[in-house]
Order: sequence, then C-alpha cells, then structure tokens
Amino acid sequence: MSASAALVRELTAYLTLKNLPPSSIWLQSFLPTVRASIPLPALQKTALFRLLASDITQSLERTRSLLFPADIHDAHIKERKLVGPIVCQVLDVEDIGRSRWSQVEALEAAERGEGTKGREVIRVIPSDEQGAGCDVEASAGPHKLLLQDAQGTRVYGMELQTIEGINVGMSIGTKLILKGVTVARGMVLLEPQSVNVLGGRIEQLHKEWKDTRKERLKVAAGITVERE
Amino acid sequence: MGKILCVAEKPSIAKAVANHLAPAQAQDVRGLAWLKNYVFDYNFGRTWGASNVVFTSVAGHIKSTEFDQRYRSWNSCNPSQLFDAPIVNYVENDKKVIARNIEEQARSAQVLFIWTDCDREGEHIGTEIRDIALKINPRLEVKRAKFSNIERAHVISAAKNPVPLDEKQANAVAARIELDLRLGAAFTRMQTLALKPMIDRVQELKVISYGSCQFPTLGFVVDRYFRVKNFVPETFWYIKVTHKKEGISVNFNWKRGHLFDRMAVTVLFERCLMAKMAKVIKVQKKPTSKWKPLPLTTVELQKMGSRFLRMDSQRVMKIAEELYTKGWISYPRTETDQFDKGIDLKQIIEKQQQDGVWGPFAQGLMNGGFKQPRNGPHNDQAHPPIHPVNYVVGVQLNDEERRVYEFVVRRFLACCSEDAKGEATDIEISYGDEIFRTHGLIVLARNYLDVYPYDKWESSQQLPQFSVGETFVPTEAKMFDGETTAPGYLTEPELISLMDANGIGTDATMAEHIAKIKERTYVMTRLKGGGRNGGGDGNIEATSTGTRGARGGRGRGRGGRGGRGGGNSGSRQGGNRNGGVQEFIPTTLGVALIEGYDKVGFETSLSKPFLRKEMELQMKAICAGTTTRNDVVHQNLEKYREVFVRTTQQINVLKAVSLGQ
Repeated sequence: MSASAALVRELTAYLTLKNLPPSSIWLQSFLPTVRASIPLPALQKTALFRLLASDITQSLERTRSLLFPADIHDAHIKERKLVGPIVCQVLDVEDIGRSRWSQVEALEAAERGEGTKGREVIRVIPSDEQGAGCDVEASAGPHKLLLQDAQGTRVYGMELQTIEGINVGMSIGTKLILKGVTVARGMVLLEPQSVNVLGGRIEQLHKEWKDTRKERLKVAAGITVERE
Repeated sequence: MGKILCVAEKPSIAKAVANHLAPAQAQDVRGLAWLKNYVFDYNFGRTWGASNVVFTSVAGHIKSTEFDQRYRSWNSCNPSQLFDAPIVNYVENDKKVIARNIEEQARSAQVLFIWTDCDREGEHIGTEIRDIALKINPRLEVKRAKFSNIERAHVISAAKNPVPLDEKQANAVAARIELDLRLGAAFTRMQTLALKPMIDRVQELKVISYGSCQFPTLGFVVDRYFRVKNFVPETFWYIKVTHKKEGISVNFNWKRGHLFDRMAVTVLFERCLMAKMAKVIKVQKKPTSKWKPLPLTTVELQKMGSRFLRMDSQRVMKIAEELYTKGWISYPRTETDQFDKGIDLKQIIEKQQQDGVWGPFAQGLMNGGFKQPRNGPHNDQAHPPIHPVNYVVGVQLNDEERRVYEFVVRRFLACCSEDAKGEATDIEISYGDEIFRTHGLIVLARNYLDVYPYDKWESSQQLPQFSVGETFVPTEAKMFDGETTAPGYLTEPELISLMDANGIGTDATMAEHIAKIKERTYVMTRLKGGGRNGGGDGNIEATSTGTRGARGGRGRGRGGRGGRGGGNSGSRQGGNRNGGVQEFIPTTLGVALIEGYDKVGFETSLSKPFLRKEMELQMKAICAGTTTRNDVVHQNLEKYREVFVRTTQQINVLKAVSLGQ
C-alpha cells in the first residue's frame, strides 16, 4: 500500500469515528495542501478543522445513518425520535423570542457604534470584525435554525432549552451532531443533551448571511425595503 | 468690635439667615429697591467673637462673560474665530449697584463671610464676591458658610464654623462658562447664518441656538420620535393555561412569554395537549417585601413631579426652591441619597406629628416605628437628601407648594418607616415541553405604604393549594396571538432619566435644558394620551447666546417665564390616571437639526451625549484637583473645533435636511 493510501485510511478512520466520514473528493483536495512530513495527530487535527470549515454536502460521505430520514418533513407525524447520530450544518439562525424589528433597531444602533447599558447610551468600539454584533445580542432566544445534512436536506430545528453556542452571533456553517432528537410535525426539537455543537463555519455563507441579515429581518418584519 | 460682611446668594436667604442670627435692622441700598443690608450685632464665638454684622446679598452671578467688543456683533467675524477670540469679564449695568454695595461695605470690614449656596455655582459666585471685595480691601479675611438648609439651629452652627472657599469648584464653573460661551456662540451663529434664510420661509426665528446640553437633550427626543415613527408592528403567539381548583380559576403564564414564530408555537402547543397532564414542579412561598424609597434627590423629585404632582420638572424645582427659601424644606439641589449618621431624623419627624393627615403616622414612627433610612449609592458631599425642615400648615401654602411639600414630607416619613411586608407564592407547572407559572402576593403589613400613596403594591387573588409532584389536566389551554405596539413618545421622567444616566447637565440644570428646547421650538409637549399643550410657546427669546448660561444653574435672572409656568401648572384636572405626564414631540426644525448633524458625522455628532458627558466628567475632575481649568477648556475647544470645521465643510448637508422640511 502506498504511503498516501495509508494516510487516507488513517484520516478517514479518524474522521469517521467523529461521525464525519469524509468524501473521497474532499480528501483528494485536502491531501495536496498538507505536507506528508507532518506527524499524524497534527494532520488529523488539521483535517478536522478544515472539514468543519467546509460545506458538508461536498465534503462528507453520504452515509445513510448520518442523514435525516427522507420523510423528515412529513407534517402528519406528530412525534418521532431520531436515534442518530445525524450530522448537519446550520444555514440560518433566528431569534424568535424577540421581534424582528427590535433586532433591526439593535443592529442599527450597533452600526452607529452605540450600545445601551441600562439607560445609558454607550459608545461601542468594535474590537474585531464581529465584535459589536456579538455581545449586543445576548438573548434568551429560543432560536430557530435551518439545518442541512450531507445530502442537502434542509429542515427547521428549534431550541427547546438554551444550548450553548447557539445564538445569532454564531457562525453560519456550524456543524452539529444530533443524537436522540425529537421531531414533531417536521420540526427538530433541540435540547442540550441531544445536540453536540462541533463548531466550524462556512466562510462565504457566513459573510453573506451577516451582510444581508438586517434586510432579511426587515422583510420578515413586513417592511418593504428601499435600496440605500 | 470688628465688622463682618456677610453676603448671601439671594435676598431671601440674606433676610432669613440674618433674622435667625439676631433681630436685624433692614437698611435700603440706594438704587435697587429689593436690595437690603441687614445690620445687627452677633457673637461668632471663638472664630471672631462679638462683631458688627452687615448681611447683604447678590442675585446670582454678578459678572458676565462676553467676547471682546470687536467680536460681539454677528457680522463682526467668522464664527470660527470665536473659539479663541478674547473674552472679558465685567459687571453688567444692572448689577453695578450690587457690586458697589459690596465695595462700600468691604472697605471697613475685617472679614468677608460668604453665604452663597453650597454647590459649584455658589462657590463661583463666592469667588466673584471675594474678588470685588479684595480689590477694595486686600486685608480682608475671607471665609464661607457651609449650610444646606436655613433652619435656625443649622444656620447658627454654620455661622460658628466657617470654612475656606473652594477654588477648584469655582474653576470648574469658570471652565463651563467659557466653553458654553464659545461653543454656544460659534455654533449658534454658524447654523443660524446658514439655515435661517431657508427656515424663515416656514417659521420666523430670531436665532437657531446651539447649546452643548440642549442638543443631546433634543437628540434623545428625536431618537425616540424616530423609534415611534419607524415602528413596525409584528404578530406574536403565546399559550395560556387556566386551571380551576378549589373554586378559584388560576391563570398560568407561559415562561417564554411569547414567540414570533407561529409554527414553533403551534408545535409546542400541540405537545402540551398531547401530554394531557400538567405537573406541579415548584411551589415556593417566601416572605417578600417592597422596599421603602431611597432618600430624595433632585432628579428623583423632578421625575416624581411629572408623574404625581402634575408639574413639569422646572416648575417643581421652582416651587421646591421657594419652599427652601421659606425654611420649610432643605436645599432642593442634591445628588445625595443617604442621610448622614449625625443628622437627628427623629427631631424632623417630631415636627410632623401635628399634621392632621400624616401626623398620626409620624407619631407612630416616634413611638418605636422608626427605622433608619436606606442608603443609596450617591453622596455629593455637599447636601443631605431633600427633607422637610420645619412643619407648615397646608393653608399657609398655595396649591402647588402644598403638593410639593406634602410629597417631600411623605417621602421622608416613608424613608424612616419600614419596608412593606408580604408573602409571595410562586407556582410552576410543566406541561408538554413547556413551563407555565403563576405568582401570588398577599400583603401582610403595608408599613411605609400607608404614608406613601405614590407606590402601589396590592394583594393578588388568593391561590389554591398546590403541592410539588401533583398532576392535573388543566381546565383550559389555548393559543393566542397578539401584536407588538410602538413605544410612546419620550415623557419628561424618561427624558430626565436619560439625561441623568448620560451625564447631560447636572441635577441643577436638567430642567433648564428641557425648558430651553421647548422655548426654542425644537420640541412640543402634550399631555400623554391627551391633546396639545401649546408647548411651542410662541415667545422666542431674543437674547444672543453670548449671555446665555451666565448662570446656567438656576431659574433666575430670566425674564418672561411666567407665561409658560401658568400653562403647565395645576389648572389642569387630568385625574390621576395620566397625572400630568408630558410627552415630547420634536418639531420639524428639531428633527432637521439632529438629522443634519448626524449626517455630517456619526462619530462625534453633537446630537449624541458623548462629547458633553466627557466635558461633565472633566468638570468633576477639576473639582477633585486631578486636572486644571485651562487643560479642560483647551481640550474641549479642540474637540469641538473639529466638529465645527467638519460641519462648515459639509454645511450643504445640514441645509439639505432643513430644506427637506
């Protein structure tokens, strides 16, 4: 066996163990970007990191057991349990505990560099690219997510209880592993014990989502958006 | 015997203090009908011993600050030159008699004893008096009296314990005066010259004034106006559970409140119904209390005034000042919400025992009900919280005075009473995936509430017995929808809170800034929920901003206020529901100004509180001795000069917005 075939096997085994079986196409594009001299554990970490930053519809093997069932949207089914594990990525996150308009107002205040501390209007100095956006919006939620599995099936999920790492400041493309979740009328109910947030981000989707979030909130709130 | 010259900040204080010290003979001062010198003998104890005393007064600031003659006329210079044009301090013609009187009296005196109010402005007025007196008589010993009310014993103690003048506080005021003058004049002239020709077509204005507090104050009003105007109502959904037990129907509210996603709520609701049984997961009974109020500060008095006394903040302060001058209440300008350990509160309570209404409550406090007031977090180290000093029968006061006095007394008695006590019951049930809860309250002892009707705390319905683990099928569970509603326009108490939190103005000046933006027709007021209240006034003051703020602190020396005061006062009978709460709506001019400046530059827009807040902190730093007057003036002028330059460069932006009106 060639050295590279052995490496492919090692990496596949490592990632599969984490419920992230890589597709061969993805592995082929990954391998040339790393030097073979790197020790295996480091290489495994790098592969995991890159995989989390990828789009799983491209990068994962479509293993049936890791996908949503084909009839996941069936609204006739009152309730069923999915044993999983199922791998999915987050395409959208909404705070449904706050009105969209109040979120627009908060975003606009942040754009002006203002935050509020009680009644006090404070100047927020954006520390990094996401800075202001993040801490302005610590909300109890709950959040509604649009989830997508490796096959591209999209389904809504809703936080039943607060799950760490799920908020409107999270990265689009974050990967989740679902185990033993309940699906009711085609909606996945998310609880801390059934959701494992692996992290990651799909850079391009994330940027697009962030750049258009205000407009989308406005539309959802029912405003006709004028072009600025 | 030596001669001691005492000078108070206003005639009423001179008269009251003089008469506390000894029977005084009032002598007229030629040239001013209201100015009197009170002459008497008094023994100041170990400080100066027995002395001849002349007790006179000024009327606020004696000196005015203005630009050098060359720069006074509007066309004399480019407004940008006002950032460093020379300024002069001088005695205005109508104050010359006062200054001369001090000079004459100082000539033969050994001691100058200053009795101006104990705050920053008072300290500055004190230095003005001192400078005038020392010029004539350089050997004078100069002291000031430290007092916060004009009750007799307090005054006598102040007379025997003089302290030095605080130069730092006076310097802070001097810095503020210079900045107000330069910034006010520069921006006012610039924006008036640029905008007036356009606005004249719509509205006749003498001047479009700028003030570093006025604008952020206006900014708050405009901000809220846009929030109201831009508001978009949205539908939300929620679940409500009702259960009947022991003949009592109990409403359980959804812990999530409401959600803005119909599908999500529908699914959750169905899961409740599927579960059939609800289970009690928490039953908690615990003693609870409603805390008595904190000792009264100025800001709090102003807020309560609009809420419960049917007066605007400026009116409340005017009345409070009168009550203070007459010796009924302590100095009404204070940030302190903690009583000093040394103050004899019982002695104050004792005096209120004779009242027909709250007298019995005061007696109760004297007979063992007394509790030490709570301590708030503020102490300005100058004045105690506002409290009654002496008892006055209601009939001796006019209607407005009576309302304010009653409030101050009730607040004080409430502070010295006990928290209201009750028992709270919290019950939570889980139903499906969701949690619902209900809350019950039984008031066991009203305590302070008996004397303080401004707070409400009432028992809810009695809850039936529930125990943890108990399950039941709820009598009813339903899904409802509702809609978000727009916030209201900014009310006066809200505006005061915003100014307070953002450091715009001081407790002494907030009411003035609010009055100013009304007077300038930048905002209108109307009764909340009611019709218009002619807030625009129509009478625009014609003064140039140059003299404005000569004594920014207080409502004195400003003519033509009477008209409005009447309009806002108690003649209205709004009942208690809305009280006299006024809401502010910006005029098109007010909106245009704020929008214009915002468009010129967000960063340091004059409509935002940031620049002004920094300035206020620097005033405090001067008082603390950590910075100097010159540094503060210099730094602020540089900051505002930047904004000024940018604004003049982009003056078309400002014009465009105003044209749009």
